[in-house]
Amino acid sequence: MASIHLQNIEKKYGAFVGVQNMSLEIADEEFLVLLGPSGCGKTTTMRMIAGLELPTGGKIVIGGEEMTEIDARDRDVAMVFQGYALYPNMSIYENIRFPLRMRGIPKAEHDARIRQAADMVELGSFLDRKPGALSGGQRQRAALARAVVRQPQVFLMDEPLSNLDAKLRQSMRVQIKHMQRQLKVTTVYVTHDQIEAMTLADRIVIMNKGAIQQVGTPDQIYSDPANTFVAGFIGSPPMNLIEGVAQNGRFVAPGVTAACPGYVQGRVTLGVRPEDCHVGGDNVQGMVYGVEPTGDTTYLTVLAGTKKIEVKAAREYRSDIDVPISITFDPAHLYFFGEDGQRIRGAA
Amino acid sequence: MAKARKSRGESMLLRYLVLGGWALVCLLPILWFLSIGFRPRTEVITPQPIYWPTFSLDAWHLLMSDWPIAKYLRNSVIAVAGSVVIDLMLAIPAAYALARYEFKGREDIGFYILSTRMMAPAIVAVPIFFLFKTLGLLDSVWALMLIYAAINLSLVTWIIRSYMLDIPKELEDAARTDGAGDLTILREIIVPACLPGIITAAVIAAIFAINEFLFTLLIASTSNAYTMSVALANFTGGSDGIIYNAIALVSFIAFVPILILVILIQKHLSRGLTMGAVKG
Ligand SMILES: Nc1ncnc2c1ncn2[C@@H]1O[C@H](COP(=O)(O)OP(=O)(O)OP(=O)(O)O)[C@@H](O)[C@H]1O
Ligand SMILES: [Mg+2]
Repeated sequence: MASIHLQNIEKKYGAFVGVQNMSLEIADEEFLVLLGPSGCGKTTTMRMIAGLELPTGGKIVIGGEEMTEIDARDRDVAMVFQGYALYPNMSIYENIRFPLRMRGIPKAEHDARIRQAADMVELGSFLDRKPGALSGGQRQRAALARAVVRQPQVFLMDEPLSNLDAKLRQSMRVQIKHMQRQLKVTTVYVTHDQIEAMTLADRIVIMNKGAIQQVGTPDQIYSDPANTFVAGFIGSPPMNLIEGVAQNGRFVAPGVTAACPGYVQGRVTLGVRPEDCHVGGDNVQGMVYGVEPTGDTTYLTVLAGTKKIEVKAAREYRSDIDVPISITFDPAHLYFFGEDGQRIRGAA
Repeated sequence: MAKARKSRGESMLLRYLVLGGWALVCLLPILWFLSIGFRPRTEVITPQPIYWPTFSLDAWHLLMSDWPIAKYLRNSVIAVAGSVVIDLMLAIPAAYALARYEFKGREDIGFYILSTRMMAPAIVAVPIFFLFKTLGLLDSVWALMLIYAAINLSLVTWIIRSYMLDIPKELEDAARTDGAGDLTILREIIVPACLPGIITAAVIAAIFAINEFLFTLLIASTSNAYTMSVALANFTGGSDGIIYNAIALVSFIAFVPILILVILIQKHLSRGLTMGAVKG
């Protein structure tokens, strides 16, 4: 329906910078996920795209038209709000109908559309209730239905599934993705849930403190992190980040040694994912600190010096604590980051 | 260990006793003048205490035949109801602007509006008299309507504004992204969401207007525009002395509309209506 270009947008609240110098090109029909810790500016970014917040700098272009100062009602954007924002005096039916009425959709179509949206979020039997008489998860689904009942230029979804149980969340996720592919509406989606981000996104934007850390496909974000923030944020448990010193192709930290490329020199951080660590071998000499069976895998925490290293061990692995253990790293999946936290890449 | 906790029944009983006692204290004067109103005139003024009063409709008949109560009531209702309607029509948009729009001096303007309420009414009594005289509105219900509206406008605006401030901003944001304009948002989202506040403000304004005395006395020079409050004050029972039981009855009749309004306000005082709009 529409591409979105954010050009150096910035939002300051007094001296506090909510979003800084953010540039992003969102392609038509793309599903883009914003991921980042609480307070990093995700909602603020969404509100600027929706036209509810005026950026203090930069330009917003939607569908080729400059929209920076255009009012929200003239942007043809549908948003799911983090706090739901259901109209308390209207029934769920009327809530979902509101955007249809406001956008002048012919009356004859209303009922069918409302029921279709409500069925999608499995709220068909709650249509005549007021929002106050619904549970948190039901309200959230009603908010989602209200957003998807019409076909706008852009969907903005601010944590639309955060309050649902795991099973419902999974089925909603599939529904949302299916619907987005079907309607081909450009979508910006905020979540804290990495699985949601990985499964839904065409591309993921990782944000921290109001700034973009990395933009990429889920694969790129996972297997090619740009800095320690992204590396430590993605994956559960996230990548082990071990500070040490590299010299002449050798990385050394208390209890840890590993081979490293010759161009990695000085004080660096070694990153290695838990699934690339294996019991046995000679990269880490440490003690077992804890063992956590989860059913399909066992997480093993190894104490090397003062550093705790997470290892994804075999399902049936068990051990007492405080016994010596050694670990090897998969040499093909080691990452090195410089003192500034940025990835050190080869000259090639 | 054996120190028994108070059972639920016991504490409920205590609660009812305390509250019931307090209610009795509050209601006693009202019941008292109601009882005076329905006693014969002679019984009201005897010095001996009377334990079993006789029931009599004397005062009622006197009122119905000698005193144009219907007219006073009608004047009151027109002036009060009209003033409340005027207040709401002006106050709702004003309160919305004060609660939501960003403009320079917003807080100051809000305070100026409220400060008109703080002035002693006597200060403006004379100018108001001349103003209405010039307008040819003396001794008219319409004049009372305007005055009541003016007196209460600031308070009504302020009450409604405070309710509007409690409405989550996200609701309006949602309506805006759904495609609603300012007036639609006001009509379909804001007004319903702060309806309890609007009703509260309207009832408070109505009570103030019903009891308004100074300006009514000033403007209503004949029984033409008398409202209940002024008629009541002028009422002594007619040509043959002060008739206390009739006065008591009139007072009770004047009190009934206020009672009804208070019962109404009580039902709507709860602010629960915005519940469920927003998470948590
Ligand atoms: N109106 C405001 N005035 C001042 N600061 C604000 C305002 N709105 C947001 N902020 C600040 O801007 C930052 C970004 O807020 P935002 O709501 O975008 O975070 P978020 O990434 O959506 O977080 P969460 O995941 O918790 O929802 C926060 O530090 C917040 O305190
Ligand atoms: Mg947020």
